Amino acid sequence: MGKAKTRKVECMIHTENLCKTYRMGDVVVQALRDVNMEIKDGEFVAIIGPSGSGKSTLLNLLGCLDKPTSGAVFIGGTDTASLSENALAEIRREKIGFIFQQFNLIHTLNALENVALPMFFAGVGRDVRLKKAEELLVKVELGERMYHKPSELSGGQQQRVAIARSLSNDPAIIIGDEPTGNVDTDTGTAIMQILEGLNREGKTIIVVTHDAEIAARAGRTKRMRDGKVLE
Amino acid sequence: MRDKFLLAFRSIRERKARSILTVLGIAVGIAAIVSLMSVGYGMEYAITGELTGMADMISVMPGKIMGGHTYIEMGGFTDRDVKDLQRISGIKDISAMTYDSVEVAYQDERKPTFVFGGDTKDLESFYVEPVGLKEGRWLRENDYKGCVIGDQVANDFFDDVIHVNDKLVLNGDKFVVVGVFEKGGMLYSNDVDRNIFLTLRAAKNVLQTDEIKYVVVRVYDIDEAEAIAEEIKEVINDNHGLDDFTMAMTMGSMLEQIGDIFNIIRGVLAGIAAIALIVASIGIMNTMLMSVMERTHEIGVMKAIGAKSRDVLALFLLESSIVSLVGGVTGCVVGVIVAKVLGFLGSAASGLEITAIVKPEVLLSGIAVAVIVGVLSGFYPARKASRMSPVEAVRYG
Ligand SMILES: Nc1ncnc2c1ncn2[C@@H]1O[C@H](COP(=O)(O)OP(=O)(O)OP(=O)(O)O)[C@@H](O)[C@H]1O
Ligand SMILES: [Mg+2]
Repeated sequence: MGKAKTRKVECMIHTENLCKTYRMGDVVVQALRDVNMEIKDGEFVAIIGPSGSGKSTLLNLLGCLDKPTSGAVFIGGTDTASLSENALAEIRREKIGFIFQQFNLIHTLNALENVALPMFFAGVGRDVRLKKAEELLVKVELGERMYHKPSELSGGQQQRVAIARSLSNDPAIIIGDEPTGNVDTDTGTAIMQILEGLNREGKTIIVVTHDAEIAARAGRTKRMRDGKVLE
Repeated sequence: MRDKFLLAFRSIRERKARSILTVLGIAVGIAAIVSLMSVGYGMEYAITGELTGMADMISVMPGKIMGGHTYIEMGGFTDRDVKDLQRISGIKDISAMTYDSVEVAYQDERKPTFVFGGDTKDLESFYVEPVGLKEGRWLRENDYKGCVIGDQVANDFFDDVIHVNDKLVLNGDKFVVVGVFEKGGMLYSNDVDRNIFLTLRAAKNVLQTDEIKYVVVRVYDIDEAEAIAEEIKEVINDNHGLDDFTMAMTMGSMLEQIGDIFNIIRGVLAGIAAIALIVASIGIMNTMLMSVMERTHEIGVMKAIGAKSRDVLALFLLESSIVSLVGGVTGCVVGVIVAKVLGFLGSAASGLEITAIVKPEVLLSGIAVAVIVGVLSGFYPARKASRMSPVEAVRYG
């Protein structure tokens, strides 16, 4: 008794019959079919699967970047479908750090400003956020490159800036869609090490990867095929 | 707020080429509005100014106009007519002039032409100011033996071109050329180019007459001009015992006849302004739409890392306002310069003194158009992008 309740609190993210359908004219693509999964607080989950199996679609839904066609995503027990656009923005800002394969830094801003941007939207004062951004950049070993523009940084360095940015509002969850996909193997390993470190600090981490070696370092691996999650 | 400004400025500065293009796109439109309107106002002023400068004038001539435009001379005024006019109240000054055909001789050649005599000050303002002298100087009141000649008299009448200090013989009297007019054409129904101008006294001498052929009266109060013109007619007709010996035309009545011209000018001005406004607005919309649309990806990224729609909108509105304002101000500056240049070229081409008139309300509305159209057309794509799901917007570009 009371076990279900406890489990729910431990459960950082869970989905119920999550479906996503893309419709392009007459063509209907079922990118996700009835996905039910649970990710516990502090877990490190790797998601693998062939191209087109729905990994990015799933992460976008978990990260509240997109809305499901049917089914639900619960974050910390809250049904995200019940939230307003602004409340969803707040979840993205405070609870989730999203890392893209393409880095997606703002190219007009330097590394420091990019990292500080989520704090800017959170209304954190200038001095505080720049100081915090600086600490985060030091943490990802980019203390020397704070004032460089993304275009002046290597792919690996840009991805580390993106990781620092994802951490700036101290979210509980870090989601990475192939964060190592656009960097060489050594850099990929370094990035995994950073993520492992964050996991040890208590953050819940979900990454999609094509690299079996990287997936092997995660606590749990989920395999996807044709829009379904296989155990 | 200060942070937002910094971020907006940052983004404008870092995207230099794009920002400059956007500012230019806006500036071109606003410059078009400002320059066209300023030149338009300048033209209106030049034309009305030319006429209203003479609004206090009454032309008095011994004759009448038949069938609309043919002037039939009934004789001439006498000194007594002029003296009687001086007794009419409300008259500021009276300028008596005379003219007639004459034979001009240079060395052995003879040609028929016209002599025009009058108060040298008055003739100066009627003829020298609008036409200008090519050579020499204008007549002085004591130049009894001096004359100033029109362009054709100087260049076309004789085998030699006549210059200052050459001697002409008019009906047997010798005169020295002291000045030569620029080409002037018809002015007050009088062909300046074929005239020889003398002092009134010299003209009376040459023409062997005391008759005055033309009197210009200036009144103190333009509103009384019509009544004074009636009185002038009565006095002179009385003197000559005829009831239609003279006519007295106020400039006001002439102005009324050409009042339509002003309405046409205003209509053209309004049309120019409307076209410039439309062209400018389309240009601004285009540049602004483009510059915001191509940043859909950036908007998506901002939303993905937690920006609310209104955060993004505020940022882009601020940016659009700054760019639009800079564009508007730049457009005003360029527009004023272009207007001055156009005014200068226009004056040279038309002979009319056109000075571009830059009205503050034109500048202000230029800037207002830039900001309003700029911000609105920046707002639309920014709102559209900020309403997309972050994934959709990020996928863009
Ligand atoms: N915006 C979209 N419109 C239409 N179809 C889409 C869209 N996004 C994804 N899809 C389709 O949904 C399916 C799943 O795509 P998804 O991007 O999730 O795959 P993935 O597992 O991330 O693949 P990859 O490993 O290549 O990144 C694919 O068939 C894809 O073509
Ligand atoms: Mg993918």
